[in-house]
Amino acid sequence: MITLKDIKRAQWDLYVGLLTIEQKDSLLIQWYAPDSFFNPVETAIENQWVISVEEMANCTNEEFMWVKDLPLIIYEPKPSPPIN
Amino acid sequence: MIISKAISPFRIKRRNGGTDADAQAFITASGISGTEATATNQLVIDLKSANIWTKMKAVYPFVGNTASSQKWNLKNPVDSNAAYRLVFSGGGTFSANGYLPNGTNAYANTFLIPSTAYSVASSGHMSYYSRTDSNGVNEREVGALTATNYSDLGLRYSGNLYMRWSETGSPTQVASPNSLGFYVGTRTAINVQKIFKNGTQVLTSALIGSALPNINLYLGCLNLSNIPNYYSAKQCAFASIGDGLTDAEALAFYNAVQTFNTTLARQV
Repeated sequence: MITLKDIKRAQWDLYVGLLTIEQKDSLLIQWYAPDSFFNPVETAIENQWVISVEEMANCTNEEFMWVKDLPLIIYEPKPSPPIN
Repeated sequence: MIISKAISPFRIKRRNGGTDADAQAFITASGISGTEATATNQLVIDLKSANIWTKMKAVYPFVGNTASSQKWNLKNPVDSNAAYRLVFSGGGTFSANGYLPNGTNAYANTFLIPSTAYSVASSGHMSYYSRTDSNGVNEREVGALTATNYSDLGLRYSGNLYMRWSETGSPTQVASPNSLGFYVGTRTAINVQKIFKNGTQVLTSALIGSALPNINLYLGCLNLSNIPNYYSAKQCAFASIGDGLTDAEALAFYNAVQTFNTTLARQV
């Protein structure tokens, strides 16, 4: 399992932190640093939710320090809905 | 006599002797100092001198290097949604070069709802100073889209540039060879829409503007019926939302913002 401490700053764009559904729900409308809020997003796999490495690394909210230990996966974004 | 006037120390003292009250309110709220404060003060002076200041509803200089310093609206530096203070979500990075959304889940909510902030749909602008050249197919920089009403700006996606202000259909697009610079998308009449890059017109559109979206404008992505999507990875060193700007105002706007970012050594 890859975690935050296993990757370099230059690799942050590749990875995201994998959440359980319960963890995703617990992060909604919660701040991870002053004036910055978590934003869990769904990946290309239905019901697979993740947060960015930036949110994990920069989290200073004592209630959510566990995000720093989330397993990392390669990010595969959910296709965006079409717009005109 | 003319030479004497030009070099008068008294004139220099009047111009630079104090801080503009609007700039000072922002400086106090954001906690910036030094060159950032000086540059912000000059920006306000320049915008007022060009008669652009009153056309702004929200101005985001992105100074300081934290979310807490970059969230403020220069036009109304009050910590409330009603003042269009930004709320950041997702993994953005804050630095002296501005706000860098990560292209994955980062954006800023302006809380500015076009349908309520504007009395007419025929005048409006959005601007974005991009320090990143990227070309993601799903990248957009500013926007609010309901099922039928669109206000959005995309600097470069699939090689294209576009904007819509109060439109209801597909936009007019133009090739965008890179996404570095200051972009102003403006509507000045129901059938006149233009994009200026670094003060030069690069797109014109006669598509009709009819009605504005009734949801918040987001920076760094699109707000699709209250769900963020189309996340951008373009670093933002200035953004604004306001009334429509004429060609001359767009050029003066660029000059003021470019001077601002040059003073901060982050111009592109």
